[in-house]
Amino acid sequence: MIRGGFAGRVLRVDLTAGEVETVPLESALARDWIGGLGLTAKLAHDAMVPGNDPLSPENPIALGAGPLVGTNLPSSSRVFAVTKLPTSGTVGWCGGGGASFGYLLKNAGYDHVLIEGRADRPARLEITDDGAALRDASELWGLGVDETCESLWRQFGRPLGVICIGQAGEHQVRFSMAFIDRISTLGRGGLGAVMGAKNLKAITARGTRGIEVADRKRYRHSTREFLREIREYPYLKEWQDLGMVKSFPIISRETYQGMKKRRIACVSCPVGCKDLIEIPDGALQGFVKHSSSVVNLYTPVLYGFEDYRESIKCMASIDSYGLDMFEFFGVMGFAKALADHGIIGSDLLDPEIALDSLESMEAWARKVSHREGLGEILAEGFAGVLEEFGDAAAPLAPALIKGMHPYAGPGSALPWNLFGTMELGQVLDPRGPHVGSGGSPTYFAKRPLEVFPRHLRRMGVPEEAFDRILPPPDSDDAGRALSVGRLLRYSHRWFSILGSIGVCARAGINRFYDASRCAEFYEMVTGIETDPAELGQRADRVWTLLRMASVREGLGREDESLPEKWFEAPGFKNYTTEEPLRREEARGMIGDYYEEWGWDRSSGIPTPARLGELGL
Amino acid sequence: MAKYEIQITRERCTGCLRCALACSDLYAKRFEPASSRVYVTSDSDCRVHLTDECNGCGVCVDHCFYEVLHKIRKDGSA
Repeated sequence: MIRGGFAGRVLRVDLTAGEVETVPLESALARDWIGGLGLTAKLAHDAMVPGNDPLSPENPIALGAGPLVGTNLPSSSRVFAVTKLPTSGTVGWCGGGGASFGYLLKNAGYDHVLIEGRADRPARLEITDDGAALRDASELWGLGVDETCESLWRQFGRPLGVICIGQAGEHQVRFSMAFIDRISTLGRGGLGAVMGAKNLKAITARGTRGIEVADRKRYRHSTREFLREIREYPYLKEWQDLGMVKSFPIISRETYQGMKKRRIACVSCPVGCKDLIEIPDGALQGFVKHSSSVVNLYTPVLYGFEDYRESIKCMASIDSYGLDMFEFFGVMGFAKALADHGIIGSDLLDPEIALDSLESMEAWARKVSHREGLGEILAEGFAGVLEEFGDAAAPLAPALIKGMHPYAGPGSALPWNLFGTMELGQVLDPRGPHVGSGGSPTYFAKRPLEVFPRHLRRMGVPEEAFDRILPPPDSDDAGRALSVGRLLRYSHRWFSILGSIGVCARAGINRFYDASRCAEFYEMVTGIETDPAELGQRADRVWTLLRMASVREGLGREDESLPEKWFEAPGFKNYTTEEPLRREEARGMIGDYYEEWGWDRSSGIPTPARLGELGL
Repeated sequence: MAKYEIQITRERCTGCLRCALACSDLYAKRFEPASSRVYVTSDSDCRVHLTDECNGCGVCVDHCFYEVLHKIRKDGSA
């Protein structure tokens, strides 16, 4: 029986009929799927008909926030969406720091929203204490993400949680995203296009109902100790001060301090990794930008921009159109290579594609987002370009996985060269290449294996699996070999636990959580009895359902092939030995990953026995 | 009588609402920032405000991680 945490209701929206319906959240469903990511995946899975076009009205979008969202547990603000993504053709989780949206959705009395159909005109889904309604959004259509948020906040005031798309989503650009409160991204792989195809410009949430905790006495006792630990963490101030700059030092601390106006936190977060910056000097002096992280504003620098100020201006355009920056630069790099080889004719190159030029990239961001000229083809992503320009184009394509460009690794924006769980996870996440679900101790390079057991226990890895992940001290491989594939299986479980209860998975915060604590907090907030092993089992059910949802759409072993370009110089290196990664070695990791899950080692499809164990 | 005077260093606020969540938990027995005695407005920056009902108990200060809120004893000591 649910006694706290959950708001207790699901909102069902039929855009075609223009109808909304509030239904109670079934207790058994909440228990079995934890909440957050888990329940969102379940709602999407059950509403989907396999084989449907992701951009058809029949493709549902499920959305939700976990049972801890709305409490003051640190960084419990995560928001998830699940839909069939147009770039990969698979069913993917889309997750973002919820900013204010998740908290306001819960305060309006809803844990989840299931959206189906297509509106006959631009629409905004309005969620308040009084229920939900579909509103005309014609005046917002054509606006960028920033303008949309500002317009809504001007009209309705704040607090108001906003999920919206820019022009790229409206034009169903395959690699368009949605944004939360303009500072969090949601849905690399095309959630923006799915919303655009539904004529759904924005979802707004505002509520004041509050969230109850089932066992307040226990909650207050446990959180007091937890907060003390966080406060005493010696690097807390550094994380608060630098955010992602701490772990991705591509910006000098002096430069960052010179542009930082303030840091922005999602509701309940004691770290606060979002940024508000202002360009301090030069021709762009005074230009202000909100961002999921200042590090992301340096993406154009990774592609050749020499002036970081122009890089920020470029990212402001890319974000406001609602494009996925990594996929945009990947596609533009591919188009430039085709232009250099004469495969794309000069008549289509207006302006010339120059990855290091603000003028060129802003022009192409606009053309892609509005499907103008060559932008019509580029908006279809790598698959569209390959289809248009045929066999001559294929050898010039960058590394691709499930039709998308992995953004971490050799030849990618983030040139990480050690092959850890996040890097392998780009192949094995059903949604396509994304590092977000693959966190583990390999997040940091060259971590000694001696420290791994502590982290594995924190992530809830069962002791009996340790010897398969880390060779025992008396073995020949001790200190050298690490089974990245087997460890990734538990990264995905850990991600499913955090996402389902509602906690952020970013390294700066998930370090404070462990599996026992997650189970304890879940139990005392919701009143649903659990323990770490059982919560882990439910999380296994969540990840396996996500996989089965994609298998149902045709996902197979061939879709999880390793890009050949990863084995060309300079290539990846083994995480522990730092020797060049071999193809067979990496293929073995994939088999190990499947096997550790109890799935068929060859096909990667969960076995009937394993599905039975999970009650699927 | 108020135990503390709550002082606010506005420029450090990140808008996390931990103060409002803690206050409502203590007084409304639920996480309900709308009924909190401290609230945060967001625009180009965040501003923390105390309502007339604030009794200076300092629970908001205890839950602020960004050194925005400070409690000063009525005798002036921190």
